[in-house]
Amino acid sequence: MTVHSPPEQHAAVATVKAGRSFSIIWLVPILALLIGGWLAFKAVSEKGPTITITFNTAEGLEAGKTKIKYKDVEIGKVESLRLNPDLKGVVVTAELNKDLEKVLTDKTRFWVVRAQIRGGSVSGLGTLLAGAHIGIDPVEGGQPARSFKGLEVPPVITTGLPGRHFWLRADTLGSVNIGAPVYYKQIQVGQVVSYKFGDDGQSVDIQLFIEAPHHLRVTENTRFWNASGVDVALNAQGLKVKTESLVSIIGGGLAFDLPKDTIPGEEAADNAIFRLYPDHDSIQEKTYTVRRYWMMYFDQSVRGLSIGAPMELYGVKVGEVVDLALEYDNKKKQFRVPVKVVFEPERMLGGEGSKKVTQEEAEKSLKIFVEERGLRAQLKSGNLLTGQQIIDLSFKPEAKKSKLTFVGSYPVIPTTAGSLDQIQESIAKITSRLEKVPFEQIGNELNETLKQAKEFTGKLNNETAPQLKATLAELEKTLKELQATVGKDSPLNYNAKKTFEELTLTLRSLRELTETLDKKPESLIFGKGGNTHE
Amino acid sequence: MNAAPATARQLGMLSCHDCHLLTAVPANGHEHLSCPRCGAALHARKPNSLARTWALVIAATIFYIPANLLPMTITSSIAGVQADTIMSGVIYFIHSGSWEIAAVIFIASVFVPLLKLLILVYLLISVQLRWHRRPKDRTALYRLTEAVGRWSMLDIFVVTILVALVKLGAVASIEAGPAAVYFALVVIITMIAAESFDPRLIWDALEEDA
Repeated sequence: MTVHSPPEQHAAVATVKAGRSFSIIWLVPILALLIGGWLAFKAVSEKGPTITITFNTAEGLEAGKTKIKYKDVEIGKVESLRLNPDLKGVVVTAELNKDLEKVLTDKTRFWVVRAQIRGGSVSGLGTLLAGAHIGIDPVEGGQPARSFKGLEVPPVITTGLPGRHFWLRADTLGSVNIGAPVYYKQIQVGQVVSYKFGDDGQSVDIQLFIEAPHHLRVTENTRFWNASGVDVALNAQGLKVKTESLVSIIGGGLAFDLPKDTIPGEEAADNAIFRLYPDHDSIQEKTYTVRRYWMMYFDQSVRGLSIGAPMELYGVKVGEVVDLALEYDNKKKQFRVPVKVVFEPERMLGGEGSKKVTQEEAEKSLKIFVEERGLRAQLKSGNLLTGQQIIDLSFKPEAKKSKLTFVGSYPVIPTTAGSLDQIQESIAKITSRLEKVPFEQIGNELNETLKQAKEFTGKLNNETAPQLKATLAELEKTLKELQATVGKDSPLNYNAKKTFEELTLTLRSLRELTETLDKKPESLIFGKGGNTHE
Repeated sequence: MNAAPATARQLGMLSCHDCHLLTAVPANGHEHLSCPRCGAALHARKPNSLARTWALVIAATIFYIPANLLPMTITSSIAGVQADTIMSGVIYFIHSGSWEIAAVIFIASVFVPLLKLLILVYLLISVQLRWHRRPKDRTALYRLTEAVGRWSMLDIFVVTILVALVKLGAVASIEAGPAAVYFALVVIITMIAAESFDPRLIWDALEEDA
C-alpha cells in the first residue's frame, strides 16, 4: 500500500483487536440447506403413488383442485386432466397419499361424486359448493394396479360394509332403480346395487345388498317381490291399493319375506339367486305345488270372466281360470265356451290339502262329488261394479244326474246356468206363457158380450118400460081399492074388529075352562059347584 | 481513470462505519481495527463481503424454493379447504380476469425477490471476476436492490392482514401457510445480503487493475 501524502495532522490510530478465524455467516446457507433438504426429503418421502383413472367425461373435475376423498377425508389430488388419444375419454392423473399404496389393486374402484338425488336420498350436496370430488372404494388383496377405469355411476354399497349381495331374476326391471330400497316388514334393510340383462337376454338380473345383520333373514325359502310404486288391483275382489312406502312410490323398491306357513330354511349364501315376484300376493300363490286341471263347458256368454278369475267353493278361492276359448261344433251347429281351471287342493285345510293324494284317488272322489253330491259349476257375478265374473262351485243334489266325463286327461265339471241366467230364464218362461194367452180373442168376445148387453138394455127401455108403467098404475089403483076395502072405517075392518073381540072372549073362557079342569077335573061330571060364576 | 482522485484506502485512511470518524491505518497491523471514538470495528471495506453475500444469497435462493412451492394461504370455507401457493393465487386472479391484481402479486412476490437474487449474484460474479464493464450501471442495480428490498414484504403484509381480517369461523377463515415463513426468510436474508455487499468492490477492481 503506497501512501501518497501523510496527513498533516496526526490522525487517530486504530487499535488492533484479535479477530475470529471462522466466518460464522456460512452457517446461514448451511442451515438453509438443511431446512431445504429436510423439506425436500419430506416431500419426496410423503409423495404417494401416482395413478391414472379414465372417465367418460371430466365434468366437474379440475386439475390441481379436485380431491380424492375416502370417507370424506382427502387422500389425494388430481394433478392433470387430458383427453385419451382416441378422444373417447378423459385420463385423470392423480397423486395419492403414500399409505394408500396397498389398496391400489385392480379391484379398487373410483368414481366422480356429484350432487344427486336418487332412490329418495340426496347425496353429495357439499359438491354443489366445493365442486365434484373423486370417490374411492379401496379393496385390498387384488393385483397391484396404477391405472383404473373409473365408474360412471357411483356404487351404492362400498366394499367395506358388512352384509351380503343377492341376485334377483325378474322378467322386467319394473320401476326399480339403482339405490332403490329393499324392505323387510316395511323396514329398509338394503338397497339395489346394480342390474344387468340375464345371461339369456330375456330376463333382468338385479343385484341387491342386504346390510348386516338383516342378511341373515334372507334364507333359501325367502321370496322377493317388487314393492314399487302403488299397486292398484281391480279384480273380482274389488279395488285394492297397496304400497310399501312413500319412497318406493317414487323410486321403486323391493321387499322380501317368507310365504305364509313356510319354514325359513338354511340361510342364503352370498350372491345367491332368487326369483323376483311381481307383487306380494304372488309370493303366496306359488306355494301351492299340487295343481289339478279341470274343464268346464258353458253354453252361455262368459263375458266378465277372465284368465286368473277365481274359482270359489263356499265363497273361498280354491283355484282359478287358466284358459278360455270359444268352441264351435260344426255338426250340431252349436257354440260353447270351454273353460280350463286349475284346482289347488292345498288351499283347503285337511283332506287333500294336508296329505298327498294320488291322481286316481282324487278323480275317484271327484266322481263321487259330481255324480252323487251334484257338484256343479256356474258363473257368478264377482263384482257388480265391474261386472267381473267368477266360477262358483256348489252342490246341487236336486240337479239332473250326470256322469263324470273326461276331455283328454281333464275331468269335466258339469255346469249349470248362473243365478242371473236362471232369473232371466224364468222371466222368459213367464213371458212366453203370457204370450200364449189369446188376448185378441178375449177382447173380441168381450166386445160382443158388451154389444148384446147394450141391445138388451135398449129393448128393455123401449118395450118393457111402458108396460111396466101401466102395470104400476093398475097396481096403484088396486091398492087404493084395497085401502078402501080394508080402511079404518070400512065395514070389513069393523067386522073384523068385532070378530077379534069375540074371539078373544071365547079364548078366555076356554082358558078358564082348562084351568078349572086342571084344578077340578071332576067338575066335568059334577059341575062347578058353588064356586062357579059364569 | 488516471485522473481519478485518490481514495481513502489509497491514502491509508479508514472511515468508521458508525460515527464516520476518519482514522489512519496503523503501521503495525491492518487486520482487526476498531474506532478510537466509538469503538466500532474498522474496515477498509466491509469485511468478508463477498463470502457473506454469497452465503446469504445461497441461503435465500434455497428458501426461495419452498416459499414458492408450499402453500402461502390456507383458506377454509364452506366450500372446503383450499391451499394456495403464490403462483396458484396469481393463476386464479388471471383466470378470474383480474390482470392487475395478478400482476401486482406476481411482481411483488415472485419477480422482485428473484430479480434481487439475480442482481446480487450478477454483482458478486462481476466483482469476483473483476469485470470492468459499466460499473456505474452495476452500482445503480445495487441501489435498486437496496431500495426495493423492504417492498418485498408486501406479500407477507397482505397475508397477515387477510389472516387477521377473515376470521368468520365455519364460513370462511384464512391461515398463513408454511410458505409465508420461508418467503419472509427470503426477503430478510436478501436484505441482509444486499447490506453485506460492498459496492465499493465494484470500483476497486477498476482501480486496482488500472
